[in-house]
Amino acid sequence: MTLMEMFPLDTLSGADYMSLVPLMLLSFGAIISLLVGTHKTRGHGNAFIASGIILALCLLILGLNAGEDTTILLNGTLVIDTFTRTLSFFVCAFALIAVIITRGTDVKEHILSEVYALILFSTAGMILMMSTNHLLFMFIALEIMSLAVYVMVAMRRTSYFSAEAGLKYFILGGLGSAFLLYGSSLIFGATGSFDLHAIHTAITTKTPTAIYYVGLGLVLTSMLFKVGAVPFHGWVPDVYQGAATNVTAFMSAGVKFTAFMALARIAKSTIFAEGVPGMHWFEYYIWLVAAASMIYGNFVAISQNEIKRMLSFSTIAHTGYLLLGLYAMKMGPEASQSVIVYLFFYALSSLGAFAIVAQFENGNEKDVRLDQLAGMGLRHPVMGACMTIFLLSMAGIPLTSGFIGKYGLFNTAVNAGQVPLVVIAVLTSVVSVYYYLRVIVYMYMKEAEGEQAVFQNLRGAGLAATLSAAATVQFGLFPRAILELVKHLK
Amino acid sequence: METTSLLLTWIIFTPALLGVLTLFAPSSLEGQLRKFALFQTIVNAILATIMYSGFIGQEAGYQFTHFVPWLPDWGINYIVGIDGISLPLVMLTAFVSPLAILGTWPDLSHGGELKLEKFFVALLMFLQAGMYGTFLAVDLFLFYFFWEVVLIPMFFLIGIWGGKERIYATVKFFLYTMVGSLLMLVAIFWLVRATQIQTGVLSASLDVISTLKFPFESATIWVALKSPQALLFLAFALAFVIKVPMVPFHTWLPDAHVQAPTIGSVFLAAVLLKLGTYGLMRIAIPLFPQAANYFSTMFIALGVIGIIYGAFCALAQSDFKKLVAYSSVSHMGYIMVGLFSFNKIAIAGSLYQMINHGISAGGLFLIVGFLYERLHTRNLNEFGGLSKIVPVMAIAFMIMTLSSVALPGSNGFVGEFPILLGSFQTHPWFVLFAGTGVILGAVYALKAYQLVMLGPVTRTDLGHLHDLNYREVIAMSVLTLFVFGIGFFPKTFFGKSDATLNLYADTLIQKVGSP
Repeated sequence: MTLMEMFPLDTLSGADYMSLVPLMLLSFGAIISLLVGTHKTRGHGNAFIASGIILALCLLILGLNAGEDTTILLNGTLVIDTFTRTLSFFVCAFALIAVIITRGTDVKEHILSEVYALILFSTAGMILMMSTNHLLFMFIALEIMSLAVYVMVAMRRTSYFSAEAGLKYFILGGLGSAFLLYGSSLIFGATGSFDLHAIHTAITTKTPTAIYYVGLGLVLTSMLFKVGAVPFHGWVPDVYQGAATNVTAFMSAGVKFTAFMALARIAKSTIFAEGVPGMHWFEYYIWLVAAASMIYGNFVAISQNEIKRMLSFSTIAHTGYLLLGLYAMKMGPEASQSVIVYLFFYALSSLGAFAIVAQFENGNEKDVRLDQLAGMGLRHPVMGACMTIFLLSMAGIPLTSGFIGKYGLFNTAVNAGQVPLVVIAVLTSVVSVYYYLRVIVYMYMKEAEGEQAVFQNLRGAGLAATLSAAATVQFGLFPRAILELVKHLK
Repeated sequence: METTSLLLTWIIFTPALLGVLTLFAPSSLEGQLRKFALFQTIVNAILATIMYSGFIGQEAGYQFTHFVPWLPDWGINYIVGIDGISLPLVMLTAFVSPLAILGTWPDLSHGGELKLEKFFVALLMFLQAGMYGTFLAVDLFLFYFFWEVVLIPMFFLIGIWGGKERIYATVKFFLYTMVGSLLMLVAIFWLVRATQIQTGVLSASLDVISTLKFPFESATIWVALKSPQALLFLAFALAFVIKVPMVPFHTWLPDAHVQAPTIGSVFLAAVLLKLGTYGLMRIAIPLFPQAANYFSTMFIALGVIGIIYGAFCALAQSDFKKLVAYSSVSHMGYIMVGLFSFNKIAIAGSLYQMINHGISAGGLFLIVGFLYERLHTRNLNEFGGLSKIVPVMAIAFMIMTLSSVALPGSNGFVGEFPILLGSFQTHPWFVLFAGTGVILGAVYALKAYQLVMLGPVTRTDLGHLHDLNYREVIAMSVLTLFVFGIGFFPKTFFGKSDATLNLYADTLIQKVGSP
């Protein structure tokens, strides 16, 4: 079979092309952003405007097209339906917020204007990842996404930590990708297909061989690596901390969202396939990883005195909660809906929180220490209030969207009969309340002593934080819009 | 559930909306914000009075209900309503709030300074919104929502305006409550799911949930612990007894009280603690009656231990505020005993005691605040003979003390006597010990009074000590009115709760099948 027969591009209809427009727009837009970013003095501004417009256009197209018919491209390799369009919409929204945060942070952190183009490239990879059922395509999408992120992490040129983080992420990420590739090839060997539906059919009709289980284990491991679950979390704190904060924000929202969606997609057609022997071992595996992530992430976050590091450990804990939701997915589609809702709400608060951290000027240091925040909430009331909202949201306190997300997630998990894991989740989230409150305590209740981190009001990051805070409260009180939106997704 | 009224929604959201408005007030108006807060509390008191006068005492069900679909997919709706159990508590909140603001008016004449006034006033309003919401919610999710919302303003009130150890105290307060309430959240998930399985409707409404049945077996303690009803009951009960607080979960209370600003203490003692007993009375006991009955001896025992232990701790304190805080532990113990005695009189007494403790403890914390404001100490040994200098305060203090020790004719008696009377019929031995708490209560309360007001004047710097000003006099006289009003005419104040309480106790006793 020639390549042309496998991917018959010439037979695409107008509607098919239409559904590919966001991908194309992002890729070409990234190149435009690269080109206009070369301007000697106004490069950053130009690249910002270009990438902002491109993302806004993508949002518009995805929003308008969301209800269109499903298009299946390339022999079923790319499936673009309401589900993927909605998820792509979310990812583009995160990217747009990240772009807004980057405006202003870029100059402050000595980041080149190429960062905007990289965000677009990475977003294109994410959309591809959301749209494919094909393991090889997933690998390619993962690489498109990750390579851009590796560069972005290492981009803070004047900082050692950034280079260290970039290198670490690159090497470990490469290992993770290799796992995915090797695992996929083993699965291909066992089932004769890369397509998740075909794999699903193959394993449910005929008991798979041992090679399949090894392959599946490797694929799952690589995905768990990408979402940063214990015990594959080693890179998370260093990378989150070393990267420029706007990049951290983008990673914590976009990369996590995408990786988790891919993991859910894989798990749904493999682990939760009915009647395949031996799958309960993989369920135990996820159970253990979920419990370990919740416990480890939350307890280690307590002892962190630097805010980005603390948030990065807390993100490990949130991965644990999400895995709990993933575990509940075997019971039906409600769980995947609540996982999406949770991810969306978490991404909002995480973007916002990092947008505020990005506004601290702390020389060339790696991070902002908590005691440097003392009194910040009183000196900058709006940003302080926003940060409080984000922290409360991550802690899952009512009035914020985080509570709704957590309620939905735990609720579906209880419905799936996962009471013990939910109790672990609930108890560890009490622990998380402690370290989130600690930040609030520093911001409002401690007197400033010693050297303070200078807080620069960056317009872009400030705007992003305010927007996210407004959305967090809005969805905390009236989450129906999002729930309705997600309800129709499978 | 026929009547629909927006009144309760107004009661909840007036403080919330005005609180948001306060946040945007220009800083030139900062000096006026207390007046604004007073205005808001008075508006709420008027709304509550309108509601009270329209409340039909002969009906046992929820009145003034308001239903708005919120998250129908999850069976969650905004339902508020009021019945004879929540009515007195809402009235308590409505009347304590303006008095607390009057009684803690900032005194700027001696160079005092307002600290973040805007934020402070807004938090007070949010706190009220949360408290009203918790009392009025008829949907379990909504109840949980407001229950948690109450925490946030209190966290800031203690943490920013509190004493030296305020951060420790406020974080402890927050975490203690969180542990309990998150387990309660899991129990709520379970209940909502059970409604769907048993009735086919997805709902978190208390009306629907109260029709559910949960298996309970009590062959041995392990069997009992494994049955769903017991697990659910314990999950809810834990959340509530932490808030009450019942020994051994009480340790956050003295810390929080001592560190909180006066107004925070008043709200904490008068209303927040009642959220716990209200939750027990509204949710934990009636929904899971057999389990509650099975564990009742344990809770009564812990309640009695709380009464005696709290009293002894109070006796040993030299910090006036801590003394009042421990007296709260002791007095709340009576409510626990009453609620778990499964006796009609005692249950009614528990509800009365909630109100009465709110009045007396609120009043005592105000007195502590008056003294601290003037003399900047809370050490009982540093006062003495003040009655000669501040006679009006001495009278107010005396009245609150008498109310606290449950002197007949004061409101305290109306609460404690029925509890002891009623639970004596079911648990005589426990009540024998609980009764000693009344005596111990008199000992520590009178000791505090004696050390502060009587004896020789020990301090020399009392020249500038002034008596209660007119605002404080208003606050204390309204409280006094309630102390003696309830003391002499309990029927007038609690009459509208009778129908609900009768039905409540009858249903409960019939469900557990004991006399």
